[in-house]
Amino acid sequence: MTHHMTTTKRARLLPVLAIGLLSAWAVTAPSSDAGPPNKKRPAFQAANKPIAPLPPASALLTEQDWQKAPMTPLQPGEIDALVSKELQSTKLQPADLTTDEQFIRRATLDLTGQLPKPADVDQFVADQDSGKRARLIDRLLAGDAYARHWARYWRDVITARLPSLPGGQVLALSFEQWMFGQLKSDQGWDKVARAMITAKGQLRFDEPGKNGAAFFLAAHRGKDAADERAAETSRIFLGIQIQCAQCHDHPSDQWKRVQFHELAGYFARLRERPIRNPKNKKMMVGGIELVSAPRGEHEMPTKEDPKKTLLTPPRFLNGKGPGNNATDLQRREALAREITSKSNYWFAGAHVNRVWGVLMGQAFYEPVDDMGPHKEAIFPSVLTRLTGAFRGSGYDVKRLIRDIMNSQTYQRQIRPSEPTEHLHFAAVYPSRLPTDALWQSLVNALGDFGRPNQQQLMRLQARTPEQAKKMAEAKKRAQAGKRPFFQNPLEALFKQEFSFDPSLKPDDIEGSITQVLLLMNNPVINQRIQARGPTVLAQVLKKYPEDDAALRTLYMRTLARKPTDREVEKCKDYIAKAGDRAEAFEDILWALLNSTEFQTKR
Amino acid sequence: MLQSLMHIQTNRDGVVSRRSFLRSVAVGAAGLGILGWKEAVALQAAELRKQGMACILLFMRGGPSQLETFDPKPGTEHGGPTTAISTAVNGIQVAEHWPSVAKAMNDIALIRSMTSREGEHVRATYQLHTGYAPSGSVKYPSIGSIAAAELGKPDFDLPHFVSIGSRNVIGSGFLGMSVAPFIVANAAKMPNNVQLPRKVDAQRFGRRLDLMRDLEQDFAKSGGSARVDEHKALYGSASRMVLSPRLKAFDISQEKDAVRDLYGRTPFGQGCLLARRLVEQGVTFVEVESNGWDTHQDNFDRVKKLSGVVDPGFGTLVADLKVRGLLERTLVIWLGEFGRTPRINPRTGRDHFPRAFNVALAGGGIKGGHVIGATSADAMDVKERPVKVPDLFCTFCQALKIDPRKTNVSTGGRPIKIVDGGEAVKELFT
Repeated sequence: MTHHMTTTKRARLLPVLAIGLLSAWAVTAPSSDAGPPNKKRPAFQAANKPIAPLPPASALLTEQDWQKAPMTPLQPGEIDALVSKELQSTKLQPADLTTDEQFIRRATLDLTGQLPKPADVDQFVADQDSGKRARLIDRLLAGDAYARHWARYWRDVITARLPSLPGGQVLALSFEQWMFGQLKSDQGWDKVARAMITAKGQLRFDEPGKNGAAFFLAAHRGKDAADERAAETSRIFLGIQIQCAQCHDHPSDQWKRVQFHELAGYFARLRERPIRNPKNKKMMVGGIELVSAPRGEHEMPTKEDPKKTLLTPPRFLNGKGPGNNATDLQRREALAREITSKSNYWFAGAHVNRVWGVLMGQAFYEPVDDMGPHKEAIFPSVLTRLTGAFRGSGYDVKRLIRDIMNSQTYQRQIRPSEPTEHLHFAAVYPSRLPTDALWQSLVNALGDFGRPNQQQLMRLQARTPEQAKKMAEAKKRAQAGKRPFFQNPLEALFKQEFSFDPSLKPDDIEGSITQVLLLMNNPVINQRIQARGPTVLAQVLKKYPEDDAALRTLYMRTLARKPTDREVEKCKDYIAKAGDRAEAFEDILWALLNSTEFQTKR
Repeated sequence: MLQSLMHIQTNRDGVVSRRSFLRSVAVGAAGLGILGWKEAVALQAAELRKQGMACILLFMRGGPSQLETFDPKPGTEHGGPTTAISTAVNGIQVAEHWPSVAKAMNDIALIRSMTSREGEHVRATYQLHTGYAPSGSVKYPSIGSIAAAELGKPDFDLPHFVSIGSRNVIGSGFLGMSVAPFIVANAAKMPNNVQLPRKVDAQRFGRRLDLMRDLEQDFAKSGGSARVDEHKALYGSASRMVLSPRLKAFDISQEKDAVRDLYGRTPFGQGCLLARRLVEQGVTFVEVESNGWDTHQDNFDRVKKLSGVVDPGFGTLVADLKVRGLLERTLVIWLGEFGRTPRINPRTGRDHFPRAFNVALAGGGIKGGHVIGATSADAMDVKERPVKVPDLFCTFCQALKIDPRKTNVSTGGRPIKIVDGGEAVKELFT
């Protein structure tokens, strides 16, 4: 994973003498025989070792840059030509295209958050049709899993930055279900944004999925809610981190304090309150409701005396405002109009930047939600063209994804590189699997964790008619929300431990000790790794008494690929040394589940 | 420039891996965000690793009433029915229900003149853990993570920062995962997943790890090396912990019943005992939480119950550390996010009151048996020697021998001082 050094002004000021330090940064893993293949470096070459290639050229984007990019649909090969052009000066050779086996795994993970089934992999590899990759992309885009996977992405984008999660997971799930519907029915991104910004009404626990758009605003509360809503609207829909200007003029951009507070002004008359259930003593709160206040303006604390405030009526970053004394809904409708306006390139650019970043493992601006006229983007010509096409298509989300994934640029392999080296999009970056996808992979490998054990079953039995009624209601809610009635406690724990903020720079996302401990030692997981009993491994070992076949099956189930010859050799050595076939295979399965690759999209 | 980085692992080409650099060295001063080159250059191993200082923070979540803890005003209207008891130190009294603390008063210093502006739980808790008010753009690290980064030895096989009994831990912020708190929910049990599963002994575990590393190589060679290396470092840390002979520090069942009784057979009491065991084994910072201090109603009865739990834990901890010769190198902090109103409300409760509250400190070179500052007779104001949160944090730094003005670099590239402003309360040190 490279250390991206050019996207801030600060990094550009690195003096030449720091090149010496750069080479200290430049290389190399302490692993015993890692390192680029086929490159032997004799000791005397150390002094002449070339510094890692410079990062890609970057540039500020002006209104004209965005404007002059055509809005016509992308032609086949157009993205590749643009990337190629930028690559010319570097003399970097693009990486080879992925093999079919590699491609179906990557594409299936990117589109559905799941590994492809072994049978599908075999079929895809055997298929002779030259258009099979495009067809695979189309097929996956048409499925429910696509909409669910990307709904979860947006859910995580929002929840990662909430100060607290009101209503717990239930309301976040409502959002996910609403977003699922939007993506499934091909709503334009402008419509999605508008629905979230102008949402109103109730978000109820007992009506999961209904009005899920309201979660975006309803999840903020208290006296800072307007500030938070403004900050998140700007971050998520414009890619502009304006909250840094909340207390003082933005340190590296040129946003002024007053601009932040004018943006908050759009939310000055929006309130949220809990929905009370006076009849229900046990659960007094039934959800959150968005309400409009009849009057009020946002107040910006003055710098000289924070107790004194200045009224800041709503005004957008371009200086336009909804006029005096606008109502809550008028304000937010106005805000939605400004944000999704044809002349607001940042709205479209922010979405393109994110999607490219997810698919390629690195975005044009990093971090993905830190863009703006005062930041620099790499490969600007690619970004502006993709953004133009996105706008021209009516903000067609699926088409953007399809265009990117059909390019050779997306379909290239990952390649070895130094830790600080930028790949210049001549290759794809491996990236961390999102939480739900990782859980899915675990279930895929070990079978469904869903069934409760004896103890849990006992607790699930209703002992009084009142309990039975409550459980029936809970069951109904769960089914309406398409959730399993019984959520495995390991799943909840796992997802909590492995969750991360998808908007962070990939380099800034780190694993934790408790994650590792969970995968390494958790007794429930360990039980399902056993070679004896009603487990997947037991079935595999029984069905495939030949080690080669058993190994291949395990690799296909966990990593969706065949093992390399070297991997087979290592495993067979291990099995021979172990003496006990069952135990050895348990260890192999453990090693696969704990491997980096299991958690990586490559 | 690079000569000063003596302790950094270099390969035969003389160059260093960023990740190994960060893990092996800069559990420290470097900060784990984007490292400025100036900061990198300034690193000197000897200066960084202050030998052996440790810290135990006892956090009273909810805001403990100063009038029912260490600043009683018996016989006054605001003092309520609470009486005061003498302590081992002539002239210092504490509220009733704190006999263990009273006995240990020779080693405990009280700051009765704490004052802050934050009266809201989430913000105040954040401030009393990080020294900073919450801000959208910077995730400030908890004092625990700061201590871990500054004081933790890089090759230590347990986590440097352990949090016991809290469901809402303030973490390492921009300092990153290697100084993130390791969370123990229940002190009386071994932490989750830290023990090897059935049928897997240390040898088999080692074989599994070796196999995993072996099988990773093809993926690493084809372009996954950065991720593989990070993964390997993390697995290295976790497995060191799992295989550590010091892991038994987490097993308090090894303590004599009499000792466990002295601390109190409560989650908090046993948490204090666990904290002592961890610090004994070399863990840098342990936080133990007691929840329930937000006594808006029924203050007196509730504080009596809470004191019944916290007093034996706190008092025994100080005495135990002293007896084991650990008190000099272990700073013990007792505090909550604010205090409570002197005026008793209609529900026999007290509400939030950051204007004048108290903190207790012991060990770490703090002069015990002293009181810093005073509140007015009606407890409404600080009368003498106000101590603000930055002052308190500078005091922590002085005790732990950390430079409060040192800057770390946040993930946004901003230089952030360990403490912004403030001055240590010098009267607390000899």
